[in-house]
Amino acid sequence: MDNNDLEKINDLLDKDVEIREKIKEQVNELDKKARTMAGILNRVHSTPPGALPPLLDSVRPVLQSCQDTMSQLASIVPENQFWRWKDMWTNSLRTAISAVAMVQYLTKRDLVSLQQVSDTLGFKVEWANRVALPVEDYLHGVISLVNDLSRLAVNSVTLGNFEEPIKISIFVKDLFAGFSMLNLKNDVLRRRFDGLKYDIKKIEEVVYDVSLRKLATVKTASADMES
Amino acid sequence: MPTSLLQHDRSVLLANFESFRADIDDYNDRRERLIKASRDITNLSKKIIFLLHRIALEDDEASNARAAKRGISKLREVQDIYAGLAPELIGDHFWRYQRQVSPGLQEYIEALSFAHYLQHGTLIPFETVQRSLSSPEGVPFFPLTVSDYLLGLSDLTGELMRFAISGLSSHKGGRAKATQVCAFVRACKADFEQYSAFVPDLRKKQAVTAQSLEKIEDAAYTIAVRSSEYDLPPEILDDIVAQSISHFSDRSHKRTRGHDLEDDPDNDGS
Repeated sequence: MDNNDLEKINDLLDKDVEIREKIKEQVNELDKKARTMAGILNRVHSTPPGALPPLLDSVRPVLQSCQDTMSQLASIVPENQFWRWKDMWTNSLRTAISAVAMVQYLTKRDLVSLQQVSDTLGFKVEWANRVALPVEDYLHGVISLVNDLSRLAVNSVTLGNFEEPIKISIFVKDLFAGFSMLNLKNDVLRRRFDGLKYDIKKIEEVVYDVSLRKLATVKTASADMES
Repeated sequence: MPTSLLQHDRSVLLANFESFRADIDDYNDRRERLIKASRDITNLSKKIIFLLHRIALEDDEASNARAAKRGISKLREVQDIYAGLAPELIGDHFWRYQRQVSPGLQEYIEALSFAHYLQHGTLIPFETVQRSLSSPEGVPFFPLTVSDYLLGLSDLTGELMRFAISGLSSHKGGRAKATQVCAFVRACKADFEQYSAFVPDLRKKQAVTAQSLEKIEDAAYTIAVRSSEYDLPPEILDDIVAQSISHFSDRSHKRTRGHDLEDDPDNDGS
């Protein structure tokens, strides 16, 4: 290799190293925020329904602050290179997505849409080829939500909230129907989807326990009879 | 309790998942197409590498140049496949599917750099590879990555080892060529060393390059030792060897066997 070429290659590699380091900094930030939210939301398992709103309110400022991190990331990633770097923040992002989904579920009893997550975390269409929210990550976040809801079904009964498992059951079953529509290839998402049945089973057992003991009345009976 | 009135809308939820399905299917289909194309490119490139070996080993002065010329014109078939793939790899798609594109691309670079070496005796520059993967107007089909470039070149050293060692037995100037290749591969290995910290797969390939280099060095050593025993210029030594080969040439099986022995069975075929 002549010197010119050596230098060019070195240049290119140095630039990559620089970008990687800058991204790393932001990912550390995002990771901290994601962990903070996960920590706060872990308390839903020990919080009675009445005390939930303030708990969820305390997550919102952290969610809001993720917007800065995302736009910082977008300013670092070069044009069209989103998929090159995204693995660096995928894990933290998925944790953040599941936090958004949990807050939405507990406030609206609804599945947060991809667009809503995107807006909440501050993704902008203008930098879609630098930083974007892929469907795959959203779906991972939703599966994490289900994993957490199966725990919540158990723990809410412990706290004396017997209605909760039934609501969760209806919600999760529809989610499962949604996931069943997807043609997943053999990857992590597929394995996690396969794992959903255990969450559903766990929730069903809780529903069975509370309804058999007449602790809660199952209003939408038809939805539960099926399984 | 007011919250109990809230509930999700099942049909909205399912409609959303339907759009995810379209998205995921689109991704998987494109991925499959690129894997297939990459496999075609790998096959074609491997054939070109064989072609280069075959012609370059022909026993005359111009064999290298002739091999390069044929190889480069065959490589156009690969370039045409890449031209056809360009729309699939547009914008941020390239990086999304980089892992599917990479194997074929490295094989292509290996073939291209081999042809380039036969023609110029040098390492093909990064720019030249990128230009070969661009439209006639100079618009790249996709951005060439340093990692694919270096990994493709790293495979070249294995081909050069084969080229040098089989050249020894079938070529008049084979020994001079082997010495050149030896120096060239040694320089490559030294150049690549500094990059192996940046390109993870390169480190593994450097080990293979080291093995190839050692094989060529051993061959060069044999040449040096044997020719030192006779105080004759190399051309005359070549003639003596050529004469004894032609003496046996009607008993071709013997020569074939000798040739096979040169071909080290533990070469990896990558």
